[in-house]
Amino acid sequence: MKLDPRTKMVMVLCLSGLALLYNTPGRLLLLLAVTVAMLLIFRFDLGAIGSYLKPFLSLMVFLFVIQCLFAPSGCVLLAVGPVPLVTTGGLLTGAGVVLRIVVVTAAAMLLATFNARDFILGLVQWKVPYELAFMVSIALRFLPVFRDELVNVVTAVQLRGVDLKKVPWGQKITMYSRLLFPVIYGAMLKAQRLAVSMEARGFRVYPRRTYLRRLEFSRADYVVLTVFPAAAIALVIRHINLLAH
Amino acid sequence: MSFLEIDHVSFTFPRHDKPVLTEIDLHFDQAVITALVGPNGSGKTTLTKLMIGVLRPACGEIRLDGRPLVEYSLGEIGRRVGYVFQNPDLQLFCGTVAEEVGFGLANRGCQRETVEERVAFYLDYFELKDYGGVFPLHLSQGEKQRLAIAAVLANEPLFLVLDEPTVGLDAYRKRLLEDYLKKISRSGRGMVLVSHDTAFVDRVAERVVILENGRVIEDSGRKGKAADEA
Amino acid sequence: MEAVVARGLTYRYQPGGPLVLKDIDFHVSRGEIAAVTGLSGCGKSTLCYCICGAVHHNRDGVMTGQVLLNGKNIRELRAASLALEVGMVFQDPDTQLFSPTVEDEIAFAPENLCLPPAQIRERVEQALDLLGLAALREANPYRLSGGEKHLVALAAVLALDPPVLVLDEVMSQLDQAGKKRVAAALKRLRDMGKAVIAVEHNLEAVSFADRLLVMEKGELLSCGRTAELLADREFMEARGLIYDPPGL
Repeated sequence: MKLDPRTKMVMVLCLSGLALLYNTPGRLLLLLAVTVAMLLIFRFDLGAIGSYLKPFLSLMVFLFVIQCLFAPSGCVLLAVGPVPLVTTGGLLTGAGVVLRIVVVTAAAMLLATFNARDFILGLVQWKVPYELAFMVSIALRFLPVFRDELVNVVTAVQLRGVDLKKVPWGQKITMYSRLLFPVIYGAMLKAQRLAVSMEARGFRVYPRRTYLRRLEFSRADYVVLTVFPAAAIALVIRHINLLAH
Repeated sequence: MSFLEIDHVSFTFPRHDKPVLTEIDLHFDQAVITALVGPNGSGKTTLTKLMIGVLRPACGEIRLDGRPLVEYSLGEIGRRVGYVFQNPDLQLFCGTVAEEVGFGLANRGCQRETVEERVAFYLDYFELKDYGGVFPLHLSQGEKQRLAIAAVLANEPLFLVLDEPTVGLDAYRKRLLEDYLKKISRSGRGMVLVSHDTAFVDRVAERVVILENGRVIEDSGRKGKAADEA
Repeated sequence: MEAVVARGLTYRYQPGGPLVLKDIDFHVSRGEIAAVTGLSGCGKSTLCYCICGAVHHNRDGVMTGQVLLNGKNIRELRAASLALEVGMVFQDPDTQLFSPTVEDEIAFAPENLCLPPAQIRERVEQALDLLGLAALREANPYRLSGGEKHLVALAAVLALDPPVLVLDEVMSQLDQAGKKRVAAALKRLRDMGKAVIAVEHNLEAVSFADRLLVMEKGELLSCGRTAELLADREFMEARGLIYDPPGL
């Protein structure tokens, strides 16, 4: 199914908003199910979520343990003397925190199902100034480039015959700190050149610019744009009511 | 046994369907200058990155000095094979030109005097003497290219892989590079160079391998010296 | 009126520093291709930056003398409006490609010029066609090979359709087919009345240029007819620009 990127942005806002609101594993699981269903509809490779979550794995384990230990409630499952170590309530809170991270990451993956160009178009057609839209899109685009740049430097250093793994920590830190400045300065030089070449192609000649393509909402977009926010608002109101009672 | 052996190597970038390289079989000997030529996008750069272990083949094996390349660390490869990247910006990372040339030696525990002596020699040969204290990325493209080559040569590797070494070099500097590469080859070290510069390839290369759409379509074998001896 | 006029142009990187360009005088007319050559470090790239105004608006160096583009002094033009007078393809393709697809990269300039979508489409197709890039239309420029990147950068500037084009060594990483396509494109631009300035080391690649500007250590030595200069092998050899290996 093809939806307008703006529609997807609204979906992401609804899903991650609810994820931040909910704190019980049951509801978060339901939310995750909806998100995964959406990703499947947009033919997103679910395996990729795993690779995005991987760097956060240790953080998630840490949060889980912290929640288990410091939010005890319900039945005690394991205790050291008088101190309850694992409680049912703690487990549930811990699971909730982890699930929340998973839902927000998975929802953000919906944004990966359209490209930077659609992102700019979406924002601009929503009257966001185009300079700002480009700034965001170029920042997003150059994140992987800067990561590559770092990988390149690390590769280049090793290809000059330095075995990074065998270098003792003390030396490694001096070496990295010596390389830090040139690498950052080099990245800034490159950013400056990029700005020059954008300007050389007429960026900001006029206060306005035109676009090769135009995004149009389809009927499906209107349906989703009605259903998602409506459902989200209803759920938020219900949640607040439940809290009030 | 050849110094660098590529056997049945194929390569596809992750999340791409079309292979960049298919069934490459090439052996490179010491003391031979081989040119790798072919149209833009034929997979030449990718092949060189496989040769120095920056990329891993999807199937097939590459052996360096008789041992599979996967058993070496990048540092170990770097001490044996010198690699000049296509874009010098990607391989210059030091604060000054002189530091750049001496980086490999200094970090491998060479004596300070030896490092300084060699740095002086290479800066002089590649006419970068006046720029010793300059930030590398402030140099012109041609100067950066010369610096990248000098920094790799200063390591005195056993084998060289050069990706488009003549880009940004003028006729006079090309001749300097040509002389030096020939000298290295005469000293018994081999090299592979990727180039579109047909004139340079004609003058320098003893063997020409043509790549097209990721396959070797022609391999002249070793001309010149070996042919004369045969 | 000449398309490009440089009068008494000098440049140094820092105030009080050595001169990188020394009193350069030349002009390029409409419908003319001028190639610039010289040993590396002779100031060719700096000259390009001066002509396209990048020096004046973005660098710290000191420029004196005058550059007129179509009669307008570049000092009096706003940085962004310079793009309406001159298009420049820089030497390093990696810092001038930033779009998610080749097509978007080429559409960037005409979009900035506020052209209607139909006209943008037309310019994109023309540029793709002229440089044989149609098959790479949806490709990510960042993932292309070095030579392909240069072609895309050139196509992106062609779509800007400026009266003056400055190219800094775009041919060097191209294969024979690519060089031919660029040469054909430049000749077509000449026929359309554009002024083209192309920096190049490889003299064979620019033998079709009308005039050859030879630089040495920041000075402009000669700006004669290409054929005549190339025939003067003694002069070119003394400059280190051509070279016959001994024993061949």
